[in-house]
Amino acid sequence: MKALLAVLALAAAAPAHAQLDFGRIIDLGRKAVEVAPRIQEATKEYTVEEEVALGEGISAGFLGAIRLHPDERLQRYVNRVGRWLASQTERADLPWTFGVIDTEVINAFAMPGGTVVVSHGLVKRLASESELAGVLAHEIAHVLKKHQLSAIQSDAGWSAAATGAKAVAADQIGRRGGDVLGLKSQLANAGVDLVKDGLFLRPLDRSMEYEADRLGVVVAARGGYDPYGFVAVLTMLAQVKPDESGASITFSTHPAPADRLAELEKVMPELEKYARQPQVEGRFRQTVK
Amino acid sequence: MLMRFLVPLLVACLSLIGDAFAQDAASTNRATELRDRPAPDARVVAPLAADSPVKVLARQGAWTQVEAGAQRGWVRAFHLRFQSTVESSSSGGGGGITSIFGFGSREAPKTSKVATLGIRGLTPEDFQNASPDQAALKKMQSWRADKASAERFAREAKLAPVAVAYVGSGS
Repeated sequence: MKALLAVLALAAAAPAHAQLDFGRIIDLGRKAVEVAPRIQEATKEYTVEEEVALGEGISAGFLGAIRLHPDERLQRYVNRVGRWLASQTERADLPWTFGVIDTEVINAFAMPGGTVVVSHGLVKRLASESELAGVLAHEIAHVLKKHQLSAIQSDAGWSAAATGAKAVAADQIGRRGGDVLGLKSQLANAGVDLVKDGLFLRPLDRSMEYEADRLGVVVAARGGYDPYGFVAVLTMLAQVKPDESGASITFSTHPAPADRLAELEKVMPELEKYARQPQVEGRFRQTVK
Repeated sequence: MLMRFLVPLLVACLSLIGDAFAQDAASTNRATELRDRPAPDARVVAPLAADSPVKVLARQGAWTQVEAGAQRGWVRAFHLRFQSTVESSSSGGGGGITSIFGFGSREAPKTSKVATLGIRGLTPEDFQNASPDQAALKKMQSWRADKASAERFAREAKLAPVAVAYVGSGS
């Protein structure tokens, strides 16, 4: 309120030729007053548009540190598998984007808004498309449940950065009836800041990982794949020798594959009837080198 | 100083990642049965005690084909344990981008930060200093598949969509 009063006082004191801008000044004052409550609102719910913008910023920041794999055929292949799986979910209409990163490290990530990245090191260790589907479906499940947004919102620093940008962007977009000035990029910038601020250095809570495992196997089964592909992936991971691969370090920060297998075993009987669905090995082997 | 030494060492270790893990030794994690087909109603070839060593040959759905001594047959995948190489995970932590296998540290940042460097061949500074790569983002987005092409792709592999409800708690 103070800000609005100050602006009004300024406007009243302005010489007559400034009157043309009076409406605009009021507008600015109103904005200053309105942004504060919007920050509170912003912490509650992201619109899909906001989630996507934030995710794009995170992705751009991530790709500034890690290169995409140059095999375009592989990239398009992974996108088709991923898009097919995502189409079987309640968030089928997100702008789903999948990428293979050029590193031999074993890993995969999901960003808010439907971007999923998997390492070449992981992909080449898989034996079939159903295993790839298991990995992608796990990441898709994180996006379905907005686990990343929850993580960002539960961290005071991250949440302040993202929320401030969101409030300003929402206000500007709402006011102008469109993102004519590219203000949505404020959210994307916030995403970049999150990457710089260590977003990739802290994994999600283990309960979220277990949930994504449970949902992922269902999504893979919905896509017509053998859902046990993901069980095979976890089994493969359990075999990775730390001394030889450096991978134990990766896993030490996450639920151990053995723990995840034990959790999955509780629900897999419900999916056993889909175990005879295709594993699709042929075109996987042709594409993944 | 320690980091200066560890980073190149860990990065060098990465290059050693081969197919070393693709070994096929496992053992049973409970008393179970060796069956002649990958099905619950298949004939039992032999009972297997807990901790029986087996050699893994193939996988089919919920079943794994193994060699146990002189006999071959199928065991439930969940009844096998592979070499345990993993520290049991810590609880707690929060936040972070989702990752299937995790970059980074959940707790005890001092030790795991060093470790993190090795995993990725990337340091936290690489992320801090990286400028956002919009061109790479656009390139990745250019590889997107639309719904229709994904459907054609699925049909080519005889993948048929199935209605399956989510399983387990909290979903």
